[in-house]
Amino acid sequence: MKRRIVLRVNGEDNELFIKPNRTLLEVLRQDLNLTGAKEACGIGACGACTVLVDGNPVHSCIALAIDVGGKEVETVEGLSQRGKLHSLQKAFMKYHAFQCGFCTPGMIMTAKALLQRNPLPTEEEVKKALSGNLCRCTGYVNIIHAIMRAAEEIRRSRVANE
Amino acid sequence: MSELNHVTKGIQRMDGEFIVTGRAQYAVDIRLSGMLYGKILRSPYPHARIKDIKTASAEKIVGVKGVVTGKDIGHRRFSFIDTPAYPAEETPLAVDKTRFIGEGVAAVVAVNEEIAAQALNFIEVEYEELPAVFDPEEAFQDGAPAVHDVIEPNTTTAWEDFGIPKKLRPYKVVNNISNKTLIENGDVEKGFKEADYIREDRFVIPATSHVAMEPHVAVASYQPNGNLDVWLSHMGYEHKRFWFAKLLDIPISKVRVHKTYVGGAFGGKISFFPYEFIAAYLSKITSRPVQVTLSREEVFSACPPSRRMIITVKTGVHREGRIIAQDVKVIDDVGAYRNSSPTAMYLTHVFRNPIYDIPNVRHEAYGVYTNKLSTLAKRGHGLPQMSFAVESQIDMICEDLGLDKVEMRLKNFRKKGDVLPNGDTLRSYALPQCLKQAAEKIGWKGKYGRKRLRGLGIGTASMFSGAHNFPFASAAMVRLNHDGKIILFTGQTEFGNGVDTVMAQIVAEVFNCNIDDVIVHSGDSEVCPHDIGNWLSAGVFVSGKAVMNAALDLKGQMLTYAEEGLRTPIDQLAIVQGRIVSWSDKMKCLSFSDISKYAIQKASGDPLIGKGFSKCVPEVYFWREEFNKMGSLSSGKGRFTEAYGFAAATAEVEVHPETGAVKILKIVVADDCGTPINPAFVEGQVLSQAVMGIGDVLFEEVLMKVGKVMNPGLLEYKIPTVADIPEILSIIVDSYEPKGPFGAKEVGENSRAAVIAAIANAVCNAIGTRLYTLPMTPDRIRQVLGETVGT
Repeated sequence: MKRRIVLRVNGEDNELFIKPNRTLLEVLRQDLNLTGAKEACGIGACGACTVLVDGNPVHSCIALAIDVGGKEVETVEGLSQRGKLHSLQKAFMKYHAFQCGFCTPGMIMTAKALLQRNPLPTEEEVKKALSGNLCRCTGYVNIIHAIMRAAEEIRRSRVANE
Repeated sequence: MSELNHVTKGIQRMDGEFIVTGRAQYAVDIRLSGMLYGKILRSPYPHARIKDIKTASAEKIVGVKGVVTGKDIGHRRFSFIDTPAYPAEETPLAVDKTRFIGEGVAAVVAVNEEIAAQALNFIEVEYEELPAVFDPEEAFQDGAPAVHDVIEPNTTTAWEDFGIPKKLRPYKVVNNISNKTLIENGDVEKGFKEADYIREDRFVIPATSHVAMEPHVAVASYQPNGNLDVWLSHMGYEHKRFWFAKLLDIPISKVRVHKTYVGGAFGGKISFFPYEFIAAYLSKITSRPVQVTLSREEVFSACPPSRRMIITVKTGVHREGRIIAQDVKVIDDVGAYRNSSPTAMYLTHVFRNPIYDIPNVRHEAYGVYTNKLSTLAKRGHGLPQMSFAVESQIDMICEDLGLDKVEMRLKNFRKKGDVLPNGDTLRSYALPQCLKQAAEKIGWKGKYGRKRLRGLGIGTASMFSGAHNFPFASAAMVRLNHDGKIILFTGQTEFGNGVDTVMAQIVAEVFNCNIDDVIVHSGDSEVCPHDIGNWLSAGVFVSGKAVMNAALDLKGQMLTYAEEGLRTPIDQLAIVQGRIVSWSDKMKCLSFSDISKYAIQKASGDPLIGKGFSKCVPEVYFWREEFNKMGSLSSGKGRFTEAYGFAAATAEVEVHPETGAVKILKIVVADDCGTPINPAFVEGQVLSQAVMGIGDVLFEEVLMKVGKVMNPGLLEYKIPTVADIPEILSIIVDSYEPKGPFGAKEVGENSRAAVIAAIANAVCNAIGTRLYTLPMTPDRIRQVLGETVGT
């Protein structure tokens, strides 16, 4: 039996009729053509599918789409505003924090959630936040570095704006 | 050398916006109208005859568009190696019998993945179980179950298609031997007689999975005109399109491999795979695009991991540590299909050979069939296994004879300029500097042997920069656009290596123009010229050289027109910031855009296209009956590569006395890669390989029980996480390779092998006992710690 849900993604409402067993990741990728979030394990073990639900990082491959109806879903596609990259995106580029890039959308979304609740994390806190996100290319070193630099950058621009 | 503006600069990736915005399209992201989805039914038995397959019930399911079995597809054989001596033996789906748990026996194509997966349950396969063999040393024995009998080749093998004379013959498999290599230099028996000290050790190295984050996937679309379009997760299109064409019996020009981003490969996506053929075949029979994406469980249990090896090393030394003889025996447990084993068995010798100068060497290697998942290249292709074995034993020899582990290695290293027994020359060789720096930065002298359960270890490695093997060479084209921008066409594949950016840096350096004025068109088999692919560590050395040559060709053409247009002799012209100017009269200048217009107006519309090419070892070729200095995989004779890269690593570890857990305190990797075209990417490769090496030594293993993979998921198979990362220092040692573009050569593949050996030696140093098997898990360490305490 298909069910009607309204899925709010990156600030836009989407009316969908879906089977209750479908995962959030499937619906994002197949129904909404948002292919930024990736499936790499399908069991919530790698973090490549991470999106934010009401600001919290969620493994969308093991979340049901019907459970997030009415909540605020953010994906990597919603991160840059009017073509302007988010500080995390810029830092990932500048500090070589990706290679193949397949885990990158999940890494960036996890980092965004971290910086929202903890704007100036220590290196240990960054590592803890990333503990559910696997990367096989970079060895993580540059990812940690990029997130630390992005946090500083966000703080600096906030101070400048105040 | 004149000052470099782009090469040697650690600039960021040119395609970074695509990746950080989620807009980079990987093969799993490809959506085509009318696309169908394929799923593969896999054998639950390690060895079984297929008596009958009933597909009628599956075909009746609404949404199912077709079901195929091995019988439908038939004996179309493929392999990574397909030579007259070693003809291909794998088929896309098992035809008569299955040889490992996970081998495909049938495939379904349906309107969505869910229906396709359901339909698999309605296919009825009648199997007759056959005795199976899992242990390679048992498989060797007379009377062991035969995994293969007589391998009947296709009508021609790949190498014959490339021009070597036809010598087609069936391969009769005896004692499950898939392939063998015997390389002899000097006289080992004589060497052992002269030795003051000899030891022999046996090492066992399991398979580890590549775990590229993007699973294996293929999208195939047959066009109404018979053309085949494919989108793959791969490492180079030449090998792939060759096999598509051959197995589907269509001209190679009808196969187009499209550019996609690739979510990691590490050697694991190098060969042609059954699911790729199946996607194409299903597209052919349905006249619709078909996607086949493997689940992570399928990647673990049906796609080849790294090679499982048993390595016995016997080494004889003089009292003061000079190695005079080494006899190596390798048993490669290839699994059900040979894949790259003949190459790997040759490479296990070739990669160790440039490091130590050993006058008497014997290297005997066998690939042996078993009823298990087959195996493949993984970052180093045999090198990590050999580095672990040889470097472990060198440590033991030093311990036995009371020699310094750094000095002993330095004493045995080759020298710059050495010519190897096969004729390769070490024009660049900075391994001694690598080892000295790696030892210094870990604090070897002050720390070694000072603290209980703390250990230090060393590892070395060498790697080729491309080889003479398929597809032999690379070419590149550059085209001047009307706006003065330069478009590069290269067959290189971006899978995280940063190759698009590196190639743009080479072009920008030749033209002395802005890097943003270079546009890279890569990885599209239809518009890019032939290319060696991103394997054999050949990307920069071979394809980079081709790109440089293409740029130089175009630059020459542009200068010729500038000479005419400016009425200034060519030797008085220079390119300054994207403009061609006269030395003598700075007012005389033309922009690149002006040159393009000039050529079109005044030279009959000359489009200004430069071409370049490069072959790894130019003197090696075959042409009909004529062979020149061809390397032999089975005897090790003949030229192999033009430049070797080197690395030395050191590691410091601490072992917990009760749990046996290893904490890595620091890793240092010093790499001799010639000129680093992009030092940030070099460091990225080194970090990547070092961290992968941590997994190889401490916890990774594809666990198998009676032919079944026991840990086929990322919860059961642990790879390094952010919590496992120690301090890692990457050093690029000053070196210049005269044959490479701007002095560059191989980078990256060395580091994993060197780090594996270094960590393994550090752990054994810490616990005071030798472990001969990887991974060095807490259980294994606790066991030997208990024994040490008990005695």
